[in-house]
Amino acid sequence: MQLSRREFLKLAGVSAAGAALFTACSIPEKELLVQSPARIPEDVLDGDESWYASVCRQCPAGCGIIVRVMEGRAKKIEGNPDYPVNRGKLCARGLAGVQALYHPDRIKGPMRRTGARGSGQWQQITWDQALNDLVGRLKQLRGSAADTVVLAHEPLRGPMSLLVDRFTRTYGSERLAYEPMDQAALRAALKTAFGEDVVPEFDIQNASYVMSFGADFLETWLSPVRYNRHYGEFRQGANRKRGTLVHVEPRFSLEAANADQWVPVRPGTEGVLALSMAYVLMSDGSADARAAASITAGAGARALASFSPERVESVIGVPAARIQELAREFASHQPSIAIGGGSAAAHTNGYTNMLAVYSLNYLVGNVGKRGGVLLNPASPLKDVPATSGATPFSAWQKLVERLRTGQPKPVNLLLVHGANPLYGLPAEVNAGDALGKAQYIVSFSSFMDETTAQADLILPDHTYLESWGGDVPEPGPGHQVVGLQQPVVKALYDTRAFGDVLLTVAEEIGPDMAKALPWRNVREMVRDSVRELHQARRGSVTAAEFEVFWNKALQQGGWWDSNARSSASPTAPIFSKPPALPRYAGSAPEYPYHLVIFPSLSMTDGRGAHLPWLQALPDPISTVVWRTWVEINSKVAKQMGLVEGDIVRVEAPNGKSIEAPVYPHPGVSPEVIGIPAGQGHSSYTNYAAGRGANPLSIIAPLTDAETGGLAWGATRVRVSATGRRMPIPKFEGGAVEARQLPGAPVAPVTRG
Amino acid sequence: MADRKWVMVVDADRCSGCEACVVACQAENNLPINEEPSFLQHRAFEWIHIERYWEGEFPNVKARFLPLMCQQCGNAPCEPVCPVYATYHNNEGLNVQVYNRCVGTRYCANNCPYQVRFFNWFEAVWPETLKNHLNPDVTVRSRGIMEKCTFCVQRIHRKSRLAKKEGRDLRDGEVSPSCVQACPTDALVFGDVTNKDSKVAKLVEDKRNFHLLEHLGTEPNVIYLKKVDPNARDASGH
Repeated sequence: MQLSRREFLKLAGVSAAGAALFTACSIPEKELLVQSPARIPEDVLDGDESWYASVCRQCPAGCGIIVRVMEGRAKKIEGNPDYPVNRGKLCARGLAGVQALYHPDRIKGPMRRTGARGSGQWQQITWDQALNDLVGRLKQLRGSAADTVVLAHEPLRGPMSLLVDRFTRTYGSERLAYEPMDQAALRAALKTAFGEDVVPEFDIQNASYVMSFGADFLETWLSPVRYNRHYGEFRQGANRKRGTLVHVEPRFSLEAANADQWVPVRPGTEGVLALSMAYVLMSDGSADARAAASITAGAGARALASFSPERVESVIGVPAARIQELAREFASHQPSIAIGGGSAAAHTNGYTNMLAVYSLNYLVGNVGKRGGVLLNPASPLKDVPATSGATPFSAWQKLVERLRTGQPKPVNLLLVHGANPLYGLPAEVNAGDALGKAQYIVSFSSFMDETTAQADLILPDHTYLESWGGDVPEPGPGHQVVGLQQPVVKALYDTRAFGDVLLTVAEEIGPDMAKALPWRNVREMVRDSVRELHQARRGSVTAAEFEVFWNKALQQGGWWDSNARSSASPTAPIFSKPPALPRYAGSAPEYPYHLVIFPSLSMTDGRGAHLPWLQALPDPISTVVWRTWVEINSKVAKQMGLVEGDIVRVEAPNGKSIEAPVYPHPGVSPEVIGIPAGQGHSSYTNYAAGRGANPLSIIAPLTDAETGGLAWGATRVRVSATGRRMPIPKFEGGAVEARQLPGAPVAPVTRG
Repeated sequence: MADRKWVMVVDADRCSGCEACVVACQAENNLPINEEPSFLQHRAFEWIHIERYWEGEFPNVKARFLPLMCQQCGNAPCEPVCPVYATYHNNEGLNVQVYNRCVGTRYCANNCPYQVRFFNWFEAVWPETLKNHLNPDVTVRSRGIMEKCTFCVQRIHRKSRLAKKEGRDLRDGEVSPSCVQACPTDALVFGDVTNKDSKVAKLVEDKRNFHLLEHLGTEPNVIYLKKVDPNARDASGH
């Protein structure tokens, strides 16, 4: 009798003879029970997978994620389908998070500087040594009126914000939050316009007409995954008419490409366009009367007479007839939304620009209405803020000055977490020199970024996939949400969570610190902070026992209550000061181009430059990868005799310059030079260091008049050829266009 | 089981060009890291990528986006030219690439009108630590063979086995390739077109539908829906 192996095993498994045979060979009985069924194909073996819900930290939006873990390794990040912010969707940056976790150049343990500052010579030390060093210094400096400790961090919200706030307040140190592409003007204007600290929800999916003034809401602005979801519905959602998108921006961005109408205005005059539209709406009577009265303090359209389309057309570079048409469309396509941000807020008049833009929503009566601006409720957690926000650039300027001169008060200890000011601050501020003179710098970074390279002591943080945390997303989806972040894998290296380090340190410093920060670790703190949600007995997770509540909430990725909405009904803000025209650094004859910097879709303001997937992700418009490029209008480039790959020097009035290859661009305005932020790192891992140029380094340190935010859109530049060339790495041009034979039959495009 | 026909619908009017699909694909399918030289040599691997087309000049300029991946042709030009049957058609409408049959003649890439097949000129290398996130469900392709979008066949199989184990049919929307799952605008939709209640079955009937290079008669299983442009002079809106 011929038996195949499979048939033999099958027989062996069921027959008494087989049992006897196996017993004789002393194979344990349980193996017989897991014998494969006879018909399964050989190549099928599903590995076990576990999915953990958490919160994405790749940008401030705070999307919900689920992470696929197999054999203790994080394999893939996907959007959490239940999480109200992103509903199962995710962007390129969020998807690339596993590369941050498994990055080959992570800092693997605490280190102390041995060589000169910035020399890159480090000695590995133990956590005991590192913490002794830090605690010793903090103890020594505490209480001395002459000495100061400054904690510089990324914009924080949620429980971590509470922790840092209590720590710095009880200790008596200062804290500053840093973001390279300053949004201080936008945040302040949103607060004035809607009377609330938290950023509202823009209900794009239910709007008929969206007018965006410089807001790159499909790329990096506030909550891009959420806005992309909205955008898809806005265009082709079921049971609705296709929405119309108008984008106002001097540069041809992804939003301009997607818009039905692109309005290239002169940089910084976006608010003037908005006011001119407001004037049209008020004078033809289509504006909401109450809002119009409120905005102009009762004076009506007369108050805005100086912004009539005829008067401003030459200032903003948009014909009067078009302004009138835009205003009429904005009023007649209801509901409509006006949003603004990006470079439009990054001018010396950024705040007033934004205030004018957001006021348009009141004039068409769409604040608090479906398809308009929906206000977000306050945080459901006591003491835990739902809003973050960076310290404006002007405060950073002062800090740099203090580091350099020790006046008016020295900085004895600088703690840096999640912020890289040395990369983002304009070179004119000379932060490098100041940091070189700093007394002692402690960095908590997972990567050797520019600021960390200048540190004296490094206490590396976990990555977000190894840490506990919580979040109150901003902007929220119009109702209350709390996200929970949990470690999906065991920490890979000898790193410690920043929050845990702060808690340990607090306990060592003194009993008052230990009392203010009573938790043993971040997990406990997050658990404690959500206890009130358990007690509230409402929302997506309810349970009698707190332990059950906690486990359910972790499993779901958090807690939310779609009924907990804002009931505020704000009134339109008064224009107390007439919106100013923008001031630029550099005169037009000498510096003929506006430098419009934009956050890279993949690397944003530079924080994603260390991940190879993001470096290799083509820019959607130019398709360039791995490098910086300079967008010059194709016709202008031709006049200048420049072709793609010619390296040009882009020089600002302060004498600072960068060099990068030209990408002749058919879309960009002839007055504008567009350069993406994100590249030009001198450090920050092998994938980022030494490639491309950082346009943020050459801008003039002009600030928004109202908020002190950095006016990173206000610098004019001149461009000169260097005579050198380099091939631009890009995706386009790879495929040769298929030629169609003349006379070949062409089938109709619609299917029969 | 044999009656399924997998179809992807790409709504160009929803697509914003955000490129989430590109990274989603690379993360799921163990694509090699595209270093700078691979772009300069036009050898970058993107099973799905966004094509950008320029129309007009400043200020009346438009850029159009079209996600492009293997079209899983019903009448695939890549299949008959393969001397070793490394690429064939399976009973669910997929154009399948069998890696361990491929000998690297590259005839299929030559014959693909959409230029969505990629040849491994080099051994794929990752830094040791980055190997941790490689997907165990997907083969790492060796040097000298051809690869392309599979509609994430490993996900189809995983869910099919699960459904079989639970003694039921696959539900509409249960299987999504990685790009479809990530796509924030829902420009990409995937499903079994033979299931008349599925989302794709309805979308393929949309009057905006078309095939890429339809005149070639390749009968792709990727159906595009036209971008709508209310300002276009052409009355068709295309």
